[in-house]
Amino acid sequence: MFSKIQFHLAKVFLKIFLRDRQSIIFSLFFPFVFMGAFSFTGGEVNPFNIGLVNNSTSIVAKNFSELISSDSLFNVTKGNEKDLRSGLINGEQSAVIIIPKDFQLNSISGDLRLLLDKSQIRQLRSIKESLGQSLLSIERELRGVEPMFVLQTEDVKARSLRYVDFLLPGILAFMIMNLSIAGSGYNIVEYRRRGILKRLFVTPIQPKDFIISIVLARLLIVIMQISVTLSFAIFFIDVKILGSFLSLYIMIILGSSIFLCLGFCLGSIAKTQESVRAVGGLVTFPQLFLSGVFFPISSMPEIIQPIIHILPLTVVVRGMRGIANDGLSFADMNIVLIGIVAWLVISFVLATKLFVWKKVAN
Amino acid sequence: MSIIKVKNLVKTYRLPEKIEGSFNAVDGVSFSIERGEIYGILGPNGAGKTTTLEMLEGLNDIDAGAAYIDGLSVMDEPYKVKKIIGVQLQANEYFDGLTLGELIILFGNLYQVKVIPDKLLERVNLLDKLHAKPADLSGGQNQRFSIACALVNDPKILFLDEPTTGLDPQAKRNLWNLVLELNRSEMTIVLTTHNMEEAETLCHRIGIMDKGKLIAEDTPQNLITQYASDPPAAPLHGNIEDVFLALTGHGLRD
Repeated sequence: MFSKIQFHLAKVFLKIFLRDRQSIIFSLFFPFVFMGAFSFTGGEVNPFNIGLVNNSTSIVAKNFSELISSDSLFNVTKGNEKDLRSGLINGEQSAVIIIPKDFQLNSISGDLRLLLDKSQIRQLRSIKESLGQSLLSIERELRGVEPMFVLQTEDVKARSLRYVDFLLPGILAFMIMNLSIAGSGYNIVEYRRRGILKRLFVTPIQPKDFIISIVLARLLIVIMQISVTLSFAIFFIDVKILGSFLSLYIMIILGSSIFLCLGFCLGSIAKTQESVRAVGGLVTFPQLFLSGVFFPISSMPEIIQPIIHILPLTVVVRGMRGIANDGLSFADMNIVLIGIVAWLVISFVLATKLFVWKKVAN
Repeated sequence: MSIIKVKNLVKTYRLPEKIEGSFNAVDGVSFSIERGEIYGILGPNGAGKTTTLEMLEGLNDIDAGAAYIDGLSVMDEPYKVKKIIGVQLQANEYFDGLTLGELIILFGNLYQVKVIPDKLLERVNLLDKLHAKPADLSGGQNQRFSIACALVNDPKILFLDEPTTGLDPQAKRNLWNLVLELNRSEMTIVLTTHNMEEAETLCHRIGIMDKGKLIAEDTPQNLITQYASDPPAAPLHGNIEDVFLALTGHGLRD
């Protein structure tokens, strides 16, 4: 299927890339930093440290104490008032709850005391609310009253999706776009400027050999970079990929092919390094924000949504997200598949029309 | 027997400043080059030397006229022609990060021939640079390396575009020796230059181009007899280049 010369040239391109440590590091820097940063937000809320002083031996006090301790919102330390009070002052505790000795239901003197550091306003409300809830359920239990309303939350997709899980497929798609466009478009302009294309052109190599070898090498490079990023996300940030890895990688290869072809178009149109960067930026930068890499597309203004949906990066992001977040297969994603095929055809036809050896080399 | 035949070669460019109007960078040039000859195309900058060469190499379209290399039409069979020619371009940069040895192997692969980098580099006196990168080479070394790259397919014809431009006298003379040596093995060499001395020293025949036309063609000696028959006053001394060489020696400086 591939000729010896294509393999050799692809190997050369790969070697050139692997020896360029700087660009390897830079291309991984952005996704790692982003994922690293977002892995710390959007997850579970940190529990509050709460001190609990139980001066009572009553059943009610015991129940209350157990309920509070099992609440995931609180990280409860039991102890005496003196120690916990000093803990509150030096910031170890956010609040201290004191259960009086005569803590009984309906007893007037049985008020709970809550010691607080009022500077921690932010936490005050949720602590109070949660305590109120606990008291209410204890009260119901002791009085044998069923609650009138029960609020049950249920995720429609039945999984726990953190922001970083949502972000990863978008970041990967963005990496695919950047690595591919740089690999074909920017490199071609650079090779032309330095006369390398011209030098190749006076040898018997056919343009298709050159294109195929660049595509082969770049696909491998993209797969390597994506795999490093993906491993980092899976092993260190605990991101879950719900769909099959085979589908994910097929999506990666299809996406890369689209952007490699678009890169060939850019490299053929733009004459200088400056102009290819400008035109390249014009193509990639808006897509970074519009195509749902960081936010769901539904949060974009409705007027531009139809346009957003046909952008190549949008199609790739949707495909990646469908596989990674929703566990879909290609058969479940007709619209994405149509978009991918359409963009493949458009970009391939354009690239072969625009990339004319003689013109590009000179 | 002629190995290169060129008939009424024309290259037309559109004038950038006018929408209508064009000029011929190469304007009806005809010449033929014999097997084993060193042929020099001489002329000032912009005379059309490089364009003529690029049309023979298949880099530039032939707008009118015809060119045959070893019996093959350059227009009709460019890939067959490319297989039997070796080309050194004015700009000779290569992929970053590859050593000379790796680049030679790459070029060998482009011609689908097996090459031994050591042997080829030894031929151009660069064996010790096998593991160096092109960026580490001096100007003269770089030119010799680009000739090595042009030799991977053992070409019948070698095209050299201003091979000594920008070289110091030592490197220049060293390159002349290399060209003469290659020619001894019957390789036909076509070179462009605007260095008169180079044309006179190296070339069996010279074609002088100006404004896209070939205005004279003959052996250096005949051209001198015909156009500069009055012998100049016998020089009392060599020129300043001889002074430079006497002071700095003939040894290569790279």
